[in-house]
Amino acid sequence: MTAKIGEARIRIPDRIGRGDVITVNAIISHPMDTGFFRTADGQPIPAYFIKDVVVTYGEQEVARFTWTSGISRDPVVSFTLRADREGPLAMVWTDNKGAVFTQSVDITFASA
Amino acid sequence: MPSDRHFARRDFLRACALTAAGLAGSSALVNTERLLAQPPPGGSLDPEVPNAEIARILKEIAGDRPIRRGHVTLDMPLVAEDGRIVPVIMESDLPVGPDEYIKAVHLIVDHNPDPHLAAFHLTPAIGRLSLSTRIKMKRTTWVRAVLVTSSGDVWADYARVNVSLNGCG
Repeated sequence: MTAKIGEARIRIPDRIGRGDVITVNAIISHPMDTGFFRTADGQPIPAYFIKDVVVTYGEQEVARFTWTSGISRDPVVSFTLRADREGPLAMVWTDNKGAVFTQSVDITFASA
Repeated sequence: MPSDRHFARRDFLRACALTAAGLAGSSALVNTERLLAQPPPGGSLDPEVPNAEIARILKEIAGDRPIRRGHVTLDMPLVAEDGRIVPVIMESDLPVGPDEYIKAVHLIVDHNPDPHLAAFHLTPAIGRLSLSTRIKMKRTTWVRAVLVTSSGDVWADYARVNVSLNGCG
């Protein structure tokens, strides 16, 4: 993957109606090294993975994922959300070296 | 003393041959024993009989509550050609409301180095459960989705996935 570590995208449907249960797709660029592999010249590759993902909708924390290096490289996750108000949907990914990556999208309702 | 050296070499070779024969014999024996006594590769074919480590993880999640099969589906491929990227979809028919909701879904892969692969902590805001991601798998084994509701009920589904290429190292 050529993208920079921590580059993230969140995708939501183009048109959202109030009260719809929408599917949120998120991807972040990260090596997710397990610590079990070595480089070609025999050097061990230390564990380096996203361990925590927090999803907030407006002010409210709606989900929190606890991950290990068992999640594939460049982690994708999709989940559902009841869109009952307009506001930002933010995701915060934290890796085991303490780096924090954030991304957000605005949930707005299509005018009827 | 060339003759001595020659003798030593012959002795050495003989010792090597004997050792090799002995090893071959014993390993053949061990293999037969393993075929007879060991569960199939990938562990027990019955997901209700987990190994000690998985039993400990399940106990940690469920406590003393019974783990029943149902109300959650774990959708995975029968055969995963590349263990580095195995798609997972978890869904549930349980209603999600302010009073009664799905509190967490745990993903466990029996024979991975770190079997408790992920925990998804949820709130009523998700509306219903449909979660998907991609995981790594080391070898053929059971994958478990364990769902915990806000009232403490525990539901599970299991899928046995055949892994062709080790994705864990």
